[in-house]
Amino acid sequence: MEFLNTIGGYALGLLGAGLAAALAGIGSAKGTGIAGEAGAGLISEDPSKAGKVMILQVIPGTQGLYGFVIWFLAFGKLVPDMSVAQGLQVLSACLPIALAGLLSAIAQGKVAAASINILAKKPDDWSRGMILCIVVEFYAILGLLASFLMLNSITF
Amino acid sequence: MKMKRLRLMVVRSEKDRLLRELIKRGCVEFSEIGDQLREEEAQHLVTRESSALTALKSQQAELSKALSLLDKYAPKKSKLLSAPQELDGEQFLDESGIGSALRAAESITGQDERIKRINAEESRQRGIIESLQPWESLELSLDTEGTKTSTVVLGSLSARISLDQVDAALAQASEEAELFRISSDKGQNYVVLVCAREALASCQECLRTFGFTAAALSGMSGTARECIFNAKEALTDLAKEKAGCESAIVDESIHRDDLKLCYDRISTQIALAEAEELLYGTETTLVMEGWMPAEREEELAAVFERYHCAWETRDPEEDEYPQVPVQLKNNTFTNSMNMVINMYSLPAYGTVDANPLMAPFFILFYGLMMADMGYGLIMIAAALVAMAMIKPRGGSLAFCQLLLYGGISTFIMGALTGGFFGDAPYQIVHMINPNSTWQGLPYLFSPVYNSNEVLYGSMVLGLIHLITGMIVSFVQKAKAGNLADGIFEEGSIWVIFIGAVPLALGIVLGQGVAKTLGLVILVLGVLMLLFGAGRHSKGFGKITAAFGCIYNTLTGWFGDILSYSRIMALMLAGGVVAQVFNTIAAMPAQSLGAANPLAILAFILIFLIGHVLNFGLNLLGCFVHDLRLQCLEFFGKFFVDGGKPFRPLRISTRYARPKES
Repeated sequence: MEFLNTIGGYALGLLGAGLAAALAGIGSAKGTGIAGEAGAGLISEDPSKAGKVMILQVIPGTQGLYGFVIWFLAFGKLVPDMSVAQGLQVLSACLPIALAGLLSAIAQGKVAAASINILAKKPDDWSRGMILCIVVEFYAILGLLASFLMLNSITF
Repeated sequence: MKMKRLRLMVVRSEKDRLLRELIKRGCVEFSEIGDQLREEEAQHLVTRESSALTALKSQQAELSKALSLLDKYAPKKSKLLSAPQELDGEQFLDESGIGSALRAAESITGQDERIKRINAEESRQRGIIESLQPWESLELSLDTEGTKTSTVVLGSLSARISLDQVDAALAQASEEAELFRISSDKGQNYVVLVCAREALASCQECLRTFGFTAAALSGMSGTARECIFNAKEALTDLAKEKAGCESAIVDESIHRDDLKLCYDRISTQIALAEAEELLYGTETTLVMEGWMPAEREEELAAVFERYHCAWETRDPEEDEYPQVPVQLKNNTFTNSMNMVINMYSLPAYGTVDANPLMAPFFILFYGLMMADMGYGLIMIAAALVAMAMIKPRGGSLAFCQLLLYGGISTFIMGALTGGFFGDAPYQIVHMINPNSTWQGLPYLFSPVYNSNEVLYGSMVLGLIHLITGMIVSFVQKAKAGNLADGIFEEGSIWVIFIGAVPLALGIVLGQGVAKTLGLVILVLGVLMLLFGAGRHSKGFGKITAAFGCIYNTLTGWFGDILSYSRIMALMLAGGVVAQVFNTIAAMPAQSLGAANPLAILAFILIFLIGHVLNFGLNLLGCFVHDLRLQCLEFFGKFFVDGGKPFRPLRISTRYARPKES
């Protein structure tokens, strides 16, 4: 406790907010990266599919956005002289989107890359690939909601 | 829609005319003829018709290639959002013009072949220039082999090797040898070895230890500079020739519309040829079988009247049902559900059509998930514009209709939850007047402030949805004469629900009578369920079946109902993300003042980007999750999948389309 007091609640809150933006952002960067690599391969063969490839590539980008949303809300809650307990509350509330965002974006990136394969081989069925991606999205949305509802319930 | 099996015999001379008549009406699907005609004794009597299908397909491919080449070399901007040209059905059956279109297509693809050859030749010439560049300063004909006593070898050494060392080594190998430096680049030194003929072997041996590679310049004559000059000349000629080919293709673009029309004509010919291959016949008559919607029988009877043909129809037998194609009977409202059902599977023939049952739920759930007046308006506008401009048919029409109904529902739900691009009105009012006490648009319920109520509400909606599905299943079973199955499977669950209500009320209100009554009904329901599960098994199997059934029912219902919480989750997520973007967008105005043009610009920019993203994601996300609720939870209760879509012989085209009769 002594140790935590030296850090202070404000720093813990900042850590939470920062993790939400950073981890979800890392996830999205990785996810869009995986999809982008696969997409670049397809575009080199058939540049006319660039638009659809781009749609598939940005799908794993939403987790970073969710993380940023929670960062924004959490950051708004922080006050310089908050207690350690309050800081830990904010930190805990930020964790669902941080972790769900990180891992779901990477998983979604893989699905998006596979869907780019669908686009290459069966262009008419690419919307089905998009649906596969959106299924993964739901768990990031749940993480966002969990973080949001928890943050909303914290008052000080 | 009820289907009938059609069997038709027609005299050969009228085959073409009849097929053309049928393709225009588009209401008969041809299929393989019945077994008795394919049996051995019939084999020598009738033979399968042949057609020009393969030739037609290659013609179609040629036209398609020519059209895409035209788009590449002579791109023509098509008007965005324009309806395809409509032509009379006869136009597609007309075969004139195909010959000249094919000639135009051949000339286009021929020019393209030439361009490809020119490209190959160009890269060969560039390769020559590249390989000769190091030798440009050598004033020696490349095919010089030396004099009577001396010989010349051109080659290169790695730049990492010091040429002085090589010189020294060469001097030791032979006195009559010298290495002339011609040029060098990053990786190589280009040199010419001049030595006495008899010393050549020992010199080469010496140089090989340094990694000397002889230049591959065989077949060149004249100096390097001359050769480069020649190659450059050739390149200019090739470029001219290529430009000529390209402009020849561009010249052919006046035939673009003819090519498109003929593509459609050939597609129609292909459809006819495919139908023809399903016919069997003798020298003078032909027989065909197929499926047609029962309601068009009279129309077809009038058509057949005009031909020398014999025909009969009959209802399909029960064991034929898997082969019967399925055509759903849709009105303008339920037609929108084709978009959904086609992503899943058509109902099997003879089972209930899910579209009218699903439509109200799908549209209601979609609206609840999106729940924003602004987004709803965009959807309605987009759907109406698309319907007016493109005049869509078939799948795209279903899509537009779904967008329209979903938009209306989204708008209504947005009005109930007080959402207009999230909380945009509130933010804008407070941006203009920071001291305003206005609390934003009024709402009946809000996912942010009444999260719990909305969550329970979604699950109650889910319960209603699932019970509807069960009622359908019950009615289906009763109709099929399996009333007992319905009573024990669906009925017992209902009894449990009926019991659960007074039980819950009794517990909450402390009413002992209601509690006991509820408990009794509930136990009765469970017993019914257990009995129903064990009905068809014997001995010990009864017990395992009963336990399995309890487990499945319990987990199944829990999972199904909880699944509907996604309605609340998506409703909340869309609203929250919109709200956050609005807040961020309003921030510059808070520090700079609302009148600052920079703040206004920042607001508009962030607002646009944020809402485009949120809108796009929700548009898709809500569809997918709504689809899941329908196909997994709802269909799980009653739907029998596996229907084969009805694909009648009809004019199906890519560019123009036949007028609707």
